[in-house]
Amino acid sequence: MPERVLLALGTKKGVFVAEAPRTRRTFALRGPFGPGVAVYATLIDTRGAPRVYASSCNAFFGMKVLRSTDLGRTFGETKAAPAFPKEDGRAVANIWTLEPGNGRRDLWCGVEPAALFRSPDGGNSWEMVRSISDHEHARKWHPGNGGLCLHTIHREGARIHLGISTGGHYLSEDGGATFRPANRGVGAGFQPDPYPEYGQCVHKIAGHPAAPGRLYMQNHGGWAEWSGSGGPRPDIGVLRSDDHGRTWRSIAKGLPSDFGFPIVVHPHDPDTVYVMPLEVPARTSVGGKPAVWRSEDGGGSWAPLAKGLPKRDSWFTVQRDGMTADSLPSPALYFGTTTGQLWMGREGGEEWTCLFDSLPPIHCVKAAVV
Amino acid sequence: MPRTPTVTIRVPSMLRACCGDAEALEFAAASVRVAMEEIGRRHPPLYRSVCDETGAVRRHVNLFVNESDVRDRQGLDTALAPGDVLTILPAVSGG
Repeated sequence: MPERVLLALGTKKGVFVAEAPRTRRTFALRGPFGPGVAVYATLIDTRGAPRVYASSCNAFFGMKVLRSTDLGRTFGETKAAPAFPKEDGRAVANIWTLEPGNGRRDLWCGVEPAALFRSPDGGNSWEMVRSISDHEHARKWHPGNGGLCLHTIHREGARIHLGISTGGHYLSEDGGATFRPANRGVGAGFQPDPYPEYGQCVHKIAGHPAAPGRLYMQNHGGWAEWSGSGGPRPDIGVLRSDDHGRTWRSIAKGLPSDFGFPIVVHPHDPDTVYVMPLEVPARTSVGGKPAVWRSEDGGGSWAPLAKGLPKRDSWFTVQRDGMTADSLPSPALYFGTTTGQLWMGREGGEEWTCLFDSLPPIHCVKAAVV
Repeated sequence: MPRTPTVTIRVPSMLRACCGDAEALEFAAASVRVAMEEIGRRHPPLYRSVCDETGAVRRHVNLFVNESDVRDRQGLDTALAPGDVLTILPAVSGG
């Protein structure tokens, strides 16, 4: 069967799947599945026969994990969803991320309130990872506006990077047996201490297998005008680490705003990284003119990619998992907005096309070539 | 020795898939808590839809014994009498 591009879209009203041939000329849309229920996490698992996973977090009836084995034509529930042990006292309020693990059916899952779960069997059973979920800091983390969520799981061999809002970046170097905060250089604008040991509002962390040890972070920026305790904290919003996340430095210079949610690395070039700067406090496109900003030198300089995007009166919000790239030789970028538009930027974002303009509010976009 | 009362549990349409499409269940239970525990044994997906992992009734799910909300009575410890009807209902929904 010829390759095609598959997109898994998590929205406020269920999961949608869009499919196109490699040309990406037209996308066919399927869904919604789990209609009416918010989906914050999707995963296209390409290990073996492709599977599409989606969280389905029903405000009435609780958590479910949906799974499709036919490229998103149908979905069924897995046998179980992540749940805290009864004696723990916490209850899962949302599923924020689903990631593949080591084994062919291993899955990792980050939830709200911030905790980590693993499944050895494609989501049919789940076990809480106590090393971070019961970490001595776990009861000291505080929720931001999006809730206290573990939203990023980035794995590099035995190293596991977690992004927690608001908890910061936690690093394991032993496959998840232990975790420690690794936030040196990661600022916080909402605490008296501008560089706390932990408690930062990390928005997203990304890396590339060709550059082990290098990480990019979209942190909660927008504190350049801060006049409270500790003084202004410019440029703490976009960061880079070259030592597996032990230390971080700003790469925000040149951006119109250091606030945003997603950060995406080019699938074939670890020096090329994308962000979607947003205004604070509105969390919308700067000046009502949406643009993805690209650096081709690892954050040393930035330039906008806006050809085809609206030139005015467009107040997009793109959430932390709302932007991604496919892996074709000349990859396309995709972003979904909370106003229900799905955009595709061919040639790595050089020219943008709106694929769908009236979807429900989009929480996440994942892409795969299958 | 008093018999444990047999009660009826009415299941809303959106949750019937969790219990073999049954509109109603019937079994002996002396309190709402015991009824929920029995649901947990017989129909775990239905239980998980009504109660979270701490055992609390989900915030947007209401349980009525006959016509009274158990939150206005003794919650899960509300006693059940023979012939009582325990109705599971989702709260009203917004956009």
